[in-house]
Amino acid sequence: MTTHPHQLRVTTLETQDSVRVEVHGDLDYDNADLLVHEVTAQLTARPGLTDLHLHCAEIGAVDSMGLCALLMISRHTAAAGVRLHLDERSAKLDRLLDLTGTLDHLTAPPPTGTVRSSMTGESTTAIRPTEPDGLT
Amino acid sequence: MASTQARTVADTRPDSLWGRAPYPVLVADLRGVVVRCNDAAGLILPAAAPGASLTDVAPAWLCAAHTRIGSPGPHAVPADTEEALRGTIAGRRFEAHPTALGDGSVAWWLVDDTDHQLAREALLMERERTAFLAKASNVLLSSLNLGRCMDVTAQLAAESLADVALAIAPSRSSRLPVVTCLRGGTPVLADMSVDPDDVPGLGEALRGFPPVPSRWIDPAAAPAWLVPEGFGPVGSIVITPLPGHGVPAGALVLLRKAQTASFSSEEEVFARLFAARAGAAMSAARLYAEQTAITDVLMRELMPPALHQISGVDFAGGYRPSADHERIGGDFYDVHPATVEGEASLVSLGDVCGKGLEAAVLTGKIRNTLHALLPLADDHSRMLGLLNTALLNSHHARFVTLVLASARRRGNQVDLALTSAGHPSPLIIRADGTVHEADTRGTLIGALPAITAVTITESLAPGESCVLYTDGITEAKGGPMGDDLFGDERLKRALAGCVGMPAEGIVEHVQMLAAQWLGNRRHDDMAVVVISAPRTHHLSAVNGHTRGRFTA
Repeated sequence: MTTHPHQLRVTTLETQDSVRVEVHGDLDYDNADLLVHEVTAQLTARPGLTDLHLHCAEIGAVDSMGLCALLMISRHTAAAGVRLHLDERSAKLDRLLDLTGTLDHLTAPPPTGTVRSSMTGESTTAIRPTEPDGLT
Repeated sequence: MASTQARTVADTRPDSLWGRAPYPVLVADLRGVVVRCNDAAGLILPAAAPGASLTDVAPAWLCAAHTRIGSPGPHAVPADTEEALRGTIAGRRFEAHPTALGDGSVAWWLVDDTDHQLAREALLMERERTAFLAKASNVLLSSLNLGRCMDVTAQLAAESLADVALAIAPSRSSRLPVVTCLRGGTPVLADMSVDPDDVPGLGEALRGFPPVPSRWIDPAAAPAWLVPEGFGPVGSIVITPLPGHGVPAGALVLLRKAQTASFSSEEEVFARLFAARAGAAMSAARLYAEQTAITDVLMRELMPPALHQISGVDFAGGYRPSADHERIGGDFYDVHPATVEGEASLVSLGDVCGKGLEAAVLTGKIRNTLHALLPLADDHSRMLGLLNTALLNSHHARFVTLVLASARRRGNQVDLALTSAGHPSPLIIRADGTVHEADTRGTLIGALPAITAVTITESLAPGESCVLYTDGITEAKGGPMGDDLFGDERLKRALAGCVGMPAEGIVEHVQMLAAQWLGNRRHDDMAVVVISAPRTHHLSAVNGHTRGRFTA
């Protein structure tokens, strides 16, 4: 098997109650599932986890499926009551999260009945589904 | 047995061990007269006895070998030993090894190698069959075209299994596609209006259920359409079902002429092995054809619409799908004219995450939902909120980023309301050549339980344009170094040169630049929509009641 220079590699380091997952390479259509599987496995294996750190400095290109994977991970961590940290984000990743309005959501503390902060701005309208309970 | 025993005892000299040797031994002198033979030789050559002529007791091939060996010299052995010293005796095969004895006579040691020969022949045949099956697999799997697979199946079968082979595909209609191939001929397809149930076992084989083994049918019971014209009397017919991946792939009918040997059980097994491969290939081709048909239907449904001027606003759009084999992309755009003249038309342009069928299905859902929500088009945020709720899904986080633009002609201007939902902001080209981003921000749709969106308003003077695009344009990788992104800045600079161009011109220009930038590299879907305020000349009110009209 040849190793593509941009191929995704996931390294996991564990401490007492947090896990640090280092992501190297492109988080894209072909690879994004790998990261979701790794995080899901960690969450399943360690029920006492409080924090999950995704080390993002080495992430290459992130496409829509990569963002989709991050959103899925944040759903899993929220469901497990684990706080997700996206550490050392590149400017490019920040721009993507900012453009898509997902930065706050991805880095918010796990929901303990609180509502998520909405974007600032005068004409900002917060839209919530009529039945927020119906989706998980 | 008793008589043989008696004779061999007489033939055996007390001092010779070879008398009871398990291999037949026969000693003959120069004149071709048997001198001695042992028990084992007596078993296979009952007439062999000392004093008998070799030609009377031994087969011709052994006599010939004996003569040859005797003439030139005691040790001269023909070059083609292997072939010459092998032959059959009483239906079994023997190797004959000569040993020249001192007195000029030759001892023939006969070794029964019938089983060895049979094993060799079986091995050879198995090798040929394996080679045939490997070839069949190669040829069959190299095509996903059902017609081609049927041709190949019939041709290969006619080459190695039968005098005529028919590959028959299951059909929902009353016409049965049948490919017939004579040995050495070319396969011919014919749609036959025949009932497969007329042939015993064929109906079941085509239905694929219940599974039926290959079966023989009485050649006399075969309907005329099964036998090609001029084939002559049919000796045997076997019908073998072609097993598919959960779907019946069809049936293979093998015919042999009356003068050809009928099928052995091994050949039938072999035919089944071949049928398994042919069936796999044909069902794969069938599934692929079905998928292609579905894709085509979806494609037709999802093709972006042709845009034109609506209610005094110019619209133009262009779409270049990703060159990947998954032909339906995740980009889409629509323009919905206002139901009431004078209201705003709604433009939507978006990018669904992922690609292929899944993305296409989601795209269809989004376009339909937006269409249904058109009565709310004056409130983009509400529309997007409802769309978000409709798309939210517990088992994946597939999302869409999109821009909504409402455009309404007011005087010679076009008023715009623009809302981005996680999508690159629309770009406004002003008449003075400046290009700026519309300052709208929002959350992507379909993944988060709550979304936010900011709607902004802009006005376009005549000749000014608003450009909506997907990131396939700005993330086109290429350029002189081959690895640079086209990028926002380059797009803005390019658009600055488009002042005053008609909407179609801007779309074509952007597409052309992106295509040049890419060269032959892979790319994502690219979609562009341009909304322009046409350059107009104000016409005086025509009838005094309306507020005046403008030329297009």
